[in-house]
Amino acid sequence: MTRPGAVVIVGESIAGLTAARELRARGYDGTITMVGREPEGAYARPPLSKDVLRDAAAEPGLAYPCADLDLQHVRSPAVALDCPARTVTTEDGRAVSYDALLVATGAAARRLAAPGQRGELVLRTLADARAIRERMDLAASVVVVGAGFLGMEVASAAVARGMEVTVIDTEPPLRRLLGPYLSGRLAARAAAAGVRTHQVAGPVGLVGDPVDGVALPDGRTLTADLVVTCAGDVPAVDWLSGTPLANPAGIAIDERCSTSLPGVFAAGDVARLGPPSDRGTGRTPFWSSAVAQGKVAAASMLGQESPLLPIDDYFWTEVLGLSVKVAGPLPPDGGPTSVEGDVDAGDALLRWDRPGLPTTVVAFGRKVPVGRLRAIARDGDTTTEEKP
Amino acid sequence: MRIHVDYDRCESHGLCTEQAPRLFSLDDDAELTYHAEGSDVPADQQALARAAIASCPVAVLRESS
Repeated sequence: MTRPGAVVIVGESIAGLTAARELRARGYDGTITMVGREPEGAYARPPLSKDVLRDAAAEPGLAYPCADLDLQHVRSPAVALDCPARTVTTEDGRAVSYDALLVATGAAARRLAAPGQRGELVLRTLADARAIRERMDLAASVVVVGAGFLGMEVASAAVARGMEVTVIDTEPPLRRLLGPYLSGRLAARAAAAGVRTHQVAGPVGLVGDPVDGVALPDGRTLTADLVVTCAGDVPAVDWLSGTPLANPAGIAIDERCSTSLPGVFAAGDVARLGPPSDRGTGRTPFWSSAVAQGKVAAASMLGQESPLLPIDDYFWTEVLGLSVKVAGPLPPDGGPTSVEGDVDAGDALLRWDRPGLPTTVVAFGRKVPVGRLRAIARDGDTTTEEKP
Repeated sequence: MRIHVDYDRCESHGLCTEQAPRLFSLDDDAELTYHAEGSDVPADQQALARAAIASCPVAVLRESS
């Protein structure tokens, strides 16, 4: 492909913003139009479920500067893609033409409310985080539906704010993502901090209008001042309906972030490399993966090769004040093959070495640079004193 | 161009050190060092500096004039 005359990026996400920055870094001086739904523009989302739930003072620091990139901003949601005409239509009625298009619309929270049922709280945007924080200001108890990393981060914030916290899931906390060993350790930590975890046999429903409780599969109902749904995310492909990209499992991309449509690329939480899957080769809705894919997509939009792989599986979370940083395939099975440090004290480096496969490495409450974690995951580590 | 680092909120992910290794590094204890503290970012480092600001998942880097 020759140099595109006009680049359009849909989604003021970290994937979208990274792509814009990479386009400029690669010398592209044409028009870049960013189409986004957030009135405030791009901001960092990882702190939403951590600092922002505790303190409004964290908000001003979230915005991402992009004034140096000479971007055209359209702050209205994209509602349609016309591939033959190569235009994106926005909610406010504009038609934006592209030569190369990057879809970086991310994912939306999966909701559990029945049609018409009001007051379900989810956490995906700054507005969501504000709404939950303001409700927490007045609440003494919270039920969190979902014990994945988002659910446990919300639970952690609620505990820090002195609330009574119950977390509901069909599996133990963080089991799907982090495997049985880390799940057990972190569940114990949560229990010690006063978080009640409630394992249920099947799907739950929300009760009340507005929502004020959760209906359990055994017929009982749990009520609380606040109910927060943290039940996963769904790729934001609604606006692509009528195109081959509108796959609810995510937009299929190749290793250049190309889609099945000419001139259309995708990156970040909305994209899926490989077949649909809960783990491994499917969507990798992590920050560092969105950054990596944004860079690859920018190179591809310019018809250039990228030296980067579009997947970066560095991931982190924070559970009851303990930071957990992970590189390598998830979830690690069984117990770690080596432990350096003290897991109980929350200061350890854990490894899962498997012959012929990439290592999974976890910094458990210990500060370890991401570069070292990636090096261990990639090819084993030579600097550690621990024997494998 | 100057950069303000909010060290209290830094979580040592170190993504900035990958974007702009001449400006940012992590020591053996993974504590961040910013090498242009108190001075202007050199002209040839400014684009990388902005990429580093944008790469921080906890948004603790800020451009100041």
